[in-house]
Amino acid sequence: MSRVFSVILLPTAECNVACTYCFEHKEKHRLSLPLVPQLTAQLLDHLEHEGIEECEIYWQGGEVMIMGPAWFVEAGQIMDTAAAARGLRFRHYLQTNLISYTPVWNELIFSMFNGSLGTSMDFPNQHRKLFKGGSDGYTNVWTQRLREAQEAGLQIGVIAVLHQGSLDAGPAAFYDYFTEELGLTSFQVNTPFPGGPAKAVEAEFNLDKPALAQFLVGLFDRWMERGYERGVRLGPFDELIEHFQGKPARLPCIWKENCSNQFISIDSKGTVAQCDCWVTSYPETYFGNVFRDPNLTEMLRTSPARREFVERPKHLVEHEDCLECRYLSICHGGCPVRTYSALGTMLAKDPYCEVYKAIFGRAQAYGQGLLQRARAAR
Amino acid sequence: MDQSPWRRRRRLDQPALSSLLTAEEAQGYSQGPFVVLVRTRPEFERWLDAEIAGLEGLQVEDLLGDPEVWARAAQGSGRLPLDVVVAEPARDFSALYRLADVRLVRPVGVTLMARPGFLKALRLAASLQLPVRLLPGQPDAEGLAELEQALQFAMHDTRVEAPVEFFHSLLASFRGFDQGTLWDILQVDPGPPQEECASCRYQSLCAGFFKNPDPTYNCDGVRQIFSNIESMAEEISRDLAAS
Repeated sequence: MSRVFSVILLPTAECNVACTYCFEHKEKHRLSLPLVPQLTAQLLDHLEHEGIEECEIYWQGGEVMIMGPAWFVEAGQIMDTAAAARGLRFRHYLQTNLISYTPVWNELIFSMFNGSLGTSMDFPNQHRKLFKGGSDGYTNVWTQRLREAQEAGLQIGVIAVLHQGSLDAGPAAFYDYFTEELGLTSFQVNTPFPGGPAKAVEAEFNLDKPALAQFLVGLFDRWMERGYERGVRLGPFDELIEHFQGKPARLPCIWKENCSNQFISIDSKGTVAQCDCWVTSYPETYFGNVFRDPNLTEMLRTSPARREFVERPKHLVEHEDCLECRYLSICHGGCPVRTYSALGTMLAKDPYCEVYKAIFGRAQAYGQGLLQRARAAR
Repeated sequence: MDQSPWRRRRRLDQPALSSLLTAEEAQGYSQGPFVVLVRTRPEFERWLDAEIAGLEGLQVEDLLGDPEVWARAAQGSGRLPLDVVVAEPARDFSALYRLADVRLVRPVGVTLMARPGFLKALRLAASLQLPVRLLPGQPDAEGLAELEQALQFAMHDTRVEAPVEFFHSLLASFRGFDQGTLWDILQVDPGPPQEECASCRYQSLCAGFFKNPDPTYNCDGVRQIFSNIESMAEEISRDLAAS
């Protein structure tokens, strides 16, 4: 039996694109290599204290590829060597916008990231933009880079953030774009939220909840009809289907029992917060700083800001209607940052509650259907 | 005062009873299998990772409200099972969330006193995939109604993945898989037998459980719960025969 501990590590807040919905506070600051051993030691001390053998590092930004492959080679070596010396392990994952990807990255991606990377694209792309070239330019460059990475044999997962344009296009067009036009066999959809300071574009992401639920259920149906049996992975539906068939499933972070004990995020200045959304948007919720505070474990244990995260699920079952919900066991009140960005407090259930229920209901029906088919076939 | 409703416990796969010992009594104990009752943080930390012959688990009381205890329990990995007793489930149910990480690193179950409002704790425990042992006592009309709700929840709700005792073992017994008496299922030291029980059709399963401590307790409501479980078992058997 073991726990998984993950760190969303942001080596830079700098970015090479100008997406209109980005909630991150961008600045030209990078994690310097001489600080990597100190950061690593803090993480390893914490793992040792908690009795966890492996830590997942999700490298993202800003845009991580701004750091260059040579930086990653050194940083990875420093971290992995230090971990091995203490009988521990890091497992690295890469999330990039791909815009500055070139084949020069391939060797590193195969050796440090197990030949896979995560990127993101929306459909239709209206908000991901180059500084010069806008959204069309972005789509063209990104698609070209995707093709090059696919040809290099890299495994690529894509995250799509839904917006009003996605709902207008409909689930069929959305699904076909990712699977047929881009040839992807693994992608996931995320619900949007307006992180950071208020911006006009937020209206675009304040989606009508019933319409969003209808879109997602339609997308679920399209995937089951066209992709499920052909091995296409579409998150979070794929894990939900596993769950409702009684199989082990790794549900996304928005549906963890308590995300506060499972991951943290650290930015290039050493700031520690709950996840990348918090570390880049909400200074009032910072837990501390790994370069200033001597002990990460102690920081997490004593941080008043973190206490609210820890106690959130407890608060929800006392004050919301979550305890009556048949999906409590897979939702636990949903995502704190989606709640905070919409309501100004995390001590409420996720505003996407009804959307999640619609998805869970669909997943449950499909899962039970698959189980019945399997029984009948025996 | 000892708040524990039982002093000896039996694991179903073991013929011998495990002695339930206080942390003090357990020091140096070597007379067979035992479970340690811990009620303070120092006692909990002292015994959590102990590797001592005969030690079969910890029964944890009065500590659900202490987040530090559960942060400690979620560290590392351990094989020693924890049985967390919730004496006031209606009041303390939400604190079960503190066990969410603990269950990832060591076996943990909860014992709920079936006092008014316990259903909230049962729902949350089930949602956290925690095995539950319900100690029903001698329920009054209100308690029986809640117990019946709990039964329906345990048998039909998709949230329930781990056993809810005594319901699931009784169901198995009615389907022909002997699980012992209710005393065995709930791991409670048997009370004295009651003459009146001899004519009860559920005597072989109940063994006078509901006649203790008050032998004048009217078992009609309890018999209805047994009967409902029996009906469910028959329905399962019919479904399986038809499939």
